[in-house]
Formats: sequence, C-alpha cells, structure tokens
Amino acid sequence: MNPLLTLLQINDSVFPIGSFTHSYGLETYIHKGIVHDSKSTEAYAEKMLRYNFFYNDAAFFHETWKICEKKALKQKLIELDSFITSLKSPYEIREASKKLAIRFLKVVESFQSVRRCKTYLEAIQAGEAHGHYPMAFAMYAHAQNITLEDGLSAFYYNSLNGIVTNCAKLVPISQMDGQKILFKLQPLIKELVNKQADMDPDMIGNCCVVQDIRCMQHEKLYTRIYIS
Amino acid sequence: MDSIIKINVEREGHRSLLKESYHNAPYKLTHYGSPRAQDHLEMIIMSASPGILDKDSLVIDVHVKENAHLKLFTQSFNKLHPMKEGASQETNVRLDKDSVFNYVPHPVTPFKDSIFKTVNTIHVNDDATLIWGDIISAGRIHRNEVFAFQKLHSITRIYKDGKLLVTDNQCLLPREQPVSDMLFFEGYTHQATLFYCGPFAKLMKDEMDEILTMEYEDVSFGFTECANNTLLLRAVGTDGELLYSFLTMLAQMCWVFTHDQLAVKAEEAMKLEAETAQRDVASTDLEDTPKRTEPKGITSKTVDTKTAGKKKTVSKGKKAIKKDTERKTSKKAV
Repeated sequence: MNPLLTLLQINDSVFPIGSFTHSYGLETYIHKGIVHDSKSTEAYAEKMLRYNFFYNDAAFFHETWKICEKKALKQKLIELDSFITSLKSPYEIREASKKLAIRFLKVVESFQSVRRCKTYLEAIQAGEAHGHYPMAFAMYAHAQNITLEDGLSAFYYNSLNGIVTNCAKLVPISQMDGQKILFKLQPLIKELVNKQADMDPDMIGNCCVVQDIRCMQHEKLYTRIYIS
Repeated sequence: MDSIIKINVEREGHRSLLKESYHNAPYKLTHYGSPRAQDHLEMIIMSASPGILDKDSLVIDVHVKENAHLKLFTQSFNKLHPMKEGASQETNVRLDKDSVFNYVPHPVTPFKDSIFKTVNTIHVNDDATLIWGDIISAGRIHRNEVFAFQKLHSITRIYKDGKLLVTDNQCLLPREQPVSDMLFFEGYTHQATLFYCGPFAKLMKDEMDEILTMEYEDVSFGFTECANNTLLLRAVGTDGELLYSFLTMLAQMCWVFTHDQLAVKAEEAMKLEAETAQRDVASTDLEDTPKRTEPKGITSKTVDTKTAGKKKTVSKGKKAIKKDTERKTSKKAV
C-alpha cells in the first residue's frame, strides 16, 4: 500500500471513528465566550498545540512509536497505556481517547490485519488495557511504513483541523478564516515535530490547569453538542 | 538544609496514635490541639524557618497503618525564597487497609526567582481513603511578584494496590509559558487541586453533583472521576485564603462523608454479626444445648443499642455537611 495515501485516509476528518463528536473542552471555552472569534480561535489553537498537545497526545504518539521501533512488546504497550490513563484526568477526555482508539483499531483491522494493532484491540476488549487513540494511530502508521515525521505532523494537523472545524461550527468563524489558521500554523507544527524527540521526559503529561478545569466543566454544561 | 519528617500512625482500640515519629530542624511535628480531644490523630508540621531557601530539601514520610485515621496540618503559607539552584520536597505516603489520611497544606507562595520541585508518591490500599490537596499561588501579589518565580514543578502519583492510578504533572515556567493566559491561569492567581480516593469516592461524586451546582464569582472549579473511585477537583481563584478555606471545607466534607460511610459499614457488619449470632442461638436452642444462649443474647442486645446510637450520628453528619456547604457557598453565589 502507498504510505502517503494510507496516511491521508486515516487522517481524514471523515474517517469513521467519531472524532467530530469531541471538542476536548473547547465547547466550554466557546460557551463561556473565551473563544469567540477568529483571533481567539487562532490563539486557542496555537496554545493547545504548543502547551497541551506537545506534552500529551503528541508525546504519547512519540512514545508508542519508540516502542514500535524496537520489538513492540505487549507488556511495554500496556505499561504505556496505563501511564496515559493515569494522566488523562477529566473523565470525558479519557473516554474519548478510548472510544476513538477502539473504532480506529476496528476500522484498520478490516483493511489488513496488523498484529500489534490486533493485540492492542484485544487487550482493550479484555480489560487489560484502557485504549488510547494516539497509541492506536502511531502503531498503525508505523506498520504502514509512514515516516515518524509525516505521521506525527499529520497527527498534529488532525487535532488542529478538529479545533478549527469545531470553531467553524460553534463560534462560528468563517470557513475562509479556518483555512487561514490551518495554513498559518504549519510552521508551528514543523517546529513541534522537530522538538518532540528532545522533550524533557519529566514534562510528559504536563497539564494546563484551567484547560483541565474547562474539560471537567464540560461534564456539567447545560447544553452540549459534543461528547467531550 | 536537608530535613526529614517521619510520621507513623497506628490504631489502638478506638484511637489512632502516633508511633515512631521523627523530625529535624527547622521542622517540628506536634499534636494539633489536645491529643485526646478526638479518636483520630491530628498533627501539625511547624517550621522555625522563614520558608524554603535555596538548596533546601525536605522529605516527608507518612505511614498510616491499618484502621488508623490521620489529619495532618501545616502552620502557614509555604514561602519559597529567591533561589539560584532550587529546592525540593519529596512526600511519600503509605496508607494501609481501612486507614484514612487527610492533608491539605497551606498554599505555596513562590517568591521572585524561586525554583521548586515537589514529588508526591502515594500508595493507597484498596480500602484506604486519601484526601489530598494542594494550592499554588502566583507569588507575592501585593509586592508585584506575580509569576516572577523561575520554575515550579509538582508531580503527584497515586498507586492503588501497586498499580499506577493517577499522575498529576504540573510544571510552571513563567519565563517560557504564557502562564496568565488561556489554558493556564486565565487571569486567576491561585490554583487548587483536591484528590479524594477511596471506597466511597463514587458516592461522594454523586453528593458533589448535587451540592456543587452553582457557579461562583471568586472561584472557578471543575470536578471529575479521574480514575476508578477517585475524585479530582481543580479550582482557580484570586485569593489564597479563600481558596484555602474552599479546599479545606471540601476536604472536611470528604472526611465527614468517609466517617459516615465507615459508620454505616460498621453498623451493617455488626447487624450481620448479631443476626448470625441469633441464628446460632436458635440452632443451639433446637439442639437443646442452653449453655451458650445467655452470653450470645447479651451480645446482640449491646449491638442493637450501639447501632441505634450510630444511626443518629450518621444522619446528623450528613445534614450538617449540606447545611455548612450551603451557608458557605451562598454568600459567593453569582
């Protein structure tokens, strides 16, 4: 299979894993009027990538990749899975990661079975692992001969695209502004991808406190369009 | 200066007692009020130093043994003085079966240029209860030292029966991160974290869902089930004292709730015991062996009086918490 086309497919916003149903706390920000126009959307997106995603999901992607580069022992993967579960405090965020992981693994399993992905899915279903989307994505991308740089860049882009699409619907901002933000933040993605391997291991899972609170407050929002 | 504080708590009869404790300068560990005023143990960590200075290191070891209950207090705000290399604190907690530990220290106030790393490692037995809080402030706000520190890194790991349950990693680097902006403090100057981990955390979450329904002017907060039977509440505010009372009030709510639930559990266990005893008596009567009838009958009577007394306390406790919360929160409601 062509790695580029596979990457485009699994990274597509309409890839049927339900990622469009999650806002990861953004809905609270919009509800409270903190994210309210194109400028604040861009500020939110930039900060999320730089201070949240870099230390969390992107770092988890990178850790999984490192395990896959070696022997991808099931034990190592389950240890990482438990570590990620311990870091994702807000209930909805933890569950979102699980749901997306299960759906992602089921869809890719139907294409062409990848042993480690199948093992991970079975471990989740058996309750041995919780299930996390960054791990599932990294495992499959690695098995499809996609390069780390491409895989991780696409993973960052995927999240950015999620933020922009949600803002286009909820704030709302114009599609044109949304596309401009996606294009404008390309250099940031490049910078973060290049820095990923040098991240201080002590910083993995670093939490932005109010963003965490907004994710928790989402559980109590009066009207909710998104699951998280 | 390298300092150590060691606390070992054991249960003897109905009381929790301090055993094998140790502390060195500048710290002092002493009873908080009269040691006989309550069944659980209340200790306070005091310090003769003006705060934490450069290169200071403190290790706190707490071991709460089976069935023992400990409330640990601090004396005042933990002041972090200007530093070049940095100071550290390591807290290791071990909670044995059915123990209860409550610790909500005063806020940490990092002065200009301070560097501080704190690592908390907590091992909780499946039946033990942990009530753990911490508050970080932006600095000496009235001296224009808002986020003037260099680095504040706090890592908390909670293990349940040896398995990693929760990791809280917060690193604040005001010179590299826009700490006042969106995602970080968002204009607030203080942040608080409270963990409630134990067999009754799920029930407590249901209570909190009912009690904490309003939004407040001075405090913004959220809470969630951050792991199985573990509740996490985070809050931000602009007043350290207010946030400290908010957190201690919630911690007290968790403490009372735990003891209510333990009383209910004990009551059920006693009821079961009494029923078994009565069944035994009935069966021995049938077997026509009257020898053991009398003492068993007395036991079940004693149990009944005891449980009746406990029931009263339980309902009183719950009402008191709700009233207290309503009174405290109504003032600040938007």
